[in-house]
Parts: sequence; structure tokens; C-alpha cells
Amino acid sequence: MLEPVRNLWLSGLLVVGAILVSGAVLAFLHQLAPPLRHRVIAVLTFLAGLYFPLEFFIPYHNFLTPWRNSVADFLRLMAAFTFGLGIINLLIIHGRHLLRWTSNAPFSLAFFSGFLLMLVIGLISHYKPTLWAQAVPKEAIGTVGFWDAAFRLFFEGALQSLNATIFALLAFFIVSAAYRAFRIRTLEAGLLMATAIVVMLANVPIGQQWLTGWIPEQSPLAWLRLEKLSHWLQTQVNAPTMRAIVFGLWVGSLAMAVRIILSLERTFTIGGQ
Amino acid sequence: MEHADWGTVYPWLVWVLTAMVGLGIWLSARGRQLHIRRLPAIDAMEEAVGRAVEMGRPILFVPGLADIDVPTFQAIAIAGHIARSAARYRNRVIVPVTNTVILTMAEQVLREAYAEAGAGEVFRPEDVRFLSGEQFAFASGVIGLMERERVASSFFFGTFAAESLILAEIGQRLGAIQIAGTPSTLQIPFFIAACDFTVIGEEYYAVTAYLTREPILVGSVWGQDICRIALATFILAATVGTKWLPPIIVKFLTFPT
Repeated sequence: MLEPVRNLWLSGLLVVGAILVSGAVLAFLHQLAPPLRHRVIAVLTFLAGLYFPLEFFIPYHNFLTPWRNSVADFLRLMAAFTFGLGIINLLIIHGRHLLRWTSNAPFSLAFFSGFLLMLVIGLISHYKPTLWAQAVPKEAIGTVGFWDAAFRLFFEGALQSLNATIFALLAFFIVSAAYRAFRIRTLEAGLLMATAIVVMLANVPIGQQWLTGWIPEQSPLAWLRLEKLSHWLQTQVNAPTMRAIVFGLWVGSLAMAVRIILSLERTFTIGGQ
Repeated sequence: MEHADWGTVYPWLVWVLTAMVGLGIWLSARGRQLHIRRLPAIDAMEEAVGRAVEMGRPILFVPGLADIDVPTFQAIAIAGHIARSAARYRNRVIVPVTNTVILTMAEQVLREAYAEAGAGEVFRPEDVRFLSGEQFAFASGVIGLMERERVASSFFFGTFAAESLILAEIGQRLGAIQIAGTPSTLQIPFFIAACDFTVIGEEYYAVTAYLTREPILVGSVWGQDICRIALATFILAATVGTKWLPPIIVKFLTFPT
């Protein structure tokens, strides 16, 4: 609905104007007495939260639908205002460690190295890939430029590999958690262990082929095959249980959303309890 | 569906459920005493805070990985309660976040919690830290934080993914008392295995009501309970009755394809 302004001067003017108006509104809100301020914020929260449910519940394409993308863009813009805060937060905390040369300073040095390296390489490879480097001819298929290669080295070679390494820790943690937590002390724990064994064996060749693979598919005892038992457990026992939990969660989420939109959830709003 | 189809039961159901929640809030606001059952995991929160105070070590609160959404709002509300308890004993609460919008909210909530408890000078802004928006970079940062700060109690509330077990296992290794609650059903089993107490399912949204006993929140939780009973009854009745119901009613009850 709202198209971007093409004129550079006009768009600059709009940005500056929007910042000034926002500042003025915030200053005005701060001048108000706290009870009145809370009421204004509650009304604004209600009106802002009303858009999406209203747009959805009014059937078919309605007067609110053309504004959907603009409202979503507006929400993204508001979140973008806080983007710099995260970087500033990191710089302050790690900078403090470096300046005071605390025991954690080497980690902060590693942070700054990685941060600056990725920032510089990413910006250059995106905006100026021919800086101090040769351009890649169009016909050279499979060849990448220097900065593109550097970016890939750090992103795919380092970051993604490190992500995969941390993810791989899960395998060991699952074993250690299972060893510590799964003790058969009660009937429920025994049932859990039995079903876990069935499902695990059904996923490996030793269970599928060796243990019960000899039972014919057409025989009356075919249900004893591990993959059929596992399938039954996952679809007839586990899935309905998960759905039941999800029902409760969604009802709870609905209740919480009602409390937020009506400003009844005061535990985290401005002014607290 | 892009817009509500009022020829099916679903939009009507949302408003009926909302009305039930509203009824609970109204009844509670009028002074009616409504009962919510005991939740051992939430009773343990005070104990966890007390243990951290006795050991002189900080508390860790991780509000999950998600952006601004309803579970994260609930997580921040719970963080405020934990901070108020910790502030009474002048203990630190470290809150690493993965989203910059949550950073501002969490810092504000914690600052106010400490100020309300008269311990404003104990609050350190650097205890609410943005680590990373990347899942495993955040997990690495949190486990490094747990190891360096030697946290005595860990709270994991919010939306989690695969990093849940990594965080909980490191806390287990440190001997921290751990309480978790998440609407992420796939992560509940990992938290149950690795944490001392876990809040499951709809209990997650009852935590603030249980902690504060504020009438509106208690009424809302009571309304949620009524909604669940009504939903279960409705599903059972509709499933059994489908055989005898006229086609127009069955069409009304069926999800449009």
C-alpha cells in the first residue's frame, strides 16, 4: 500500500521528520502523569494489537488487507531501531574487558577479531569485490573473486563448521543425559525404557532386518515387526499426546495474548506491578 | 486460510475460548476465589534463588531464542519475578539474549525489579547481554558464561530449539539447580531429562499467575482450564457424533481444504 519514495531529498526529509515527530511524541508522553501515560500506552497497545485479528476475522479481502505488507514493514522497521543496540552492547562489554585487561580479555580479543574480520570482508565482498583484486571474467565459470573466496572461507569454512561442531555435541549430551536420567525405578520409567528401545531398534538394520525382519508381512503376527510397533507408538501414542500438550499451549497462548492486548499483563509493561 | 471462514467452527471457537478466558478474568476481578492447582516446579523457584544466594553465585535466566512473541513475553515476565526475588537478597541475575528488542525489554524489567526491591545499585546493565542472533553461537556464549560465572541456578523459559540440551547439560555438570519451561514440545523431553524441574505445556502460561496470585492472572488461568475441558469435550462429542450428525453440521466442523 505504501510505496517507497523515489526522490532522495523527499525521503531524507521524511526520515528526519519522522524522527523529530517520534521524539516529540516521546517527550510528550514523558511529561504526562504516570497514570495517564499508562492509559495512553494501553490504548495504543490495544489499537496496534487490533489490526491483525481484525484483518483476519473480517472475511475475504477487506479495507485492512491492502495495508498488511506496510504494517509488517513498519514492525520490521521498529525492530531495526534496536539492531544497533546489540552491537553497542557487545562492544561495550568486550571493550571493557580489553581496556582493563581482565582474565577474560583474550576471549574479548577473539570476539573483536572475528567481528571486524567478518564485517570488513562481508562489506567489501558485497559492495566492492574488485578492491585490490582482479574482477572475475564472466566466462570463467566456477571461479570466484578474492573477496568472495575470503567471505566463503570465513562463513562456510569457519562459522558453519563451528555451528556444526556445537550441534554435534548434542550426540554426546544425549547419551550422558539418558545415562543419568533413565533409571528404571517406577513402572512409568520401565514403559519409557521399553518404548525407547523399540523405537531405537526400529530405526537401525539390526532391528529391522535381524530381530523381526523374518516375520512375514502378511502373517497375523506382522504387527510384532519392530518398524510397525515403532510406527504405532509414534502415531497412536506419541502424536496424540503431543497434540494434547499443544492444545493446552495454544489456549494458554490465546489467554496470554488477550492479557497483553488489554494491558492486563502488567508484570513486564512500563511501570511494572 | 488467509481470512476467517465463518462457515466453519474455527473462528467461532476462537471467540468462544476468548469469552471463557474473559469470564475467568471477570469472575476473579469481582472477588471470586478461583483455584489453580499446585505446581511443584514453580514452588522450587524460590528454593533455587535461595540456593544461589547461599552459595554467593549468580543466577542465570535464558529467555529462549525467539523474537518478540507471546512465549517470550511470558519469559520476560517470569524473569522479572526471579529478579525481584534475587534483588531482595542482593544477588545477580544474568540474562543473555539473542534478540536486540528483548535486550531492551529485559534490561528495563530487571532494572525496575531491582529498583522496586530497593537494590537498584546492585543491578548491573552488563548482566543483560546480547550474545548473538545465531543459535549455536548463542549456545556457545551461554555455556561459556555459565562456566565463567559458575552459576548456582539456571532458569530456561521461552522458545528453545536444539541448543536446549547443550545448555541444560552444562548446568547439570556445574551442579546448578535448573528449572525449565518451554512451549517447544520437542524440547520438553530434553529439559525433563536434564533439569531438576520442568514446566510442561499450559503450565508455562500459568507461572506468573501462580507466582503473583494476582486476581486477573488467576482468573485467566482458570479460564484456560475451562477452555481445555470444553475443547476436550467438544472434540470427543464431535468425533463420536459425526456418524449421526447431518452433513451440513459435519461440513461446519471440518477444516476447509
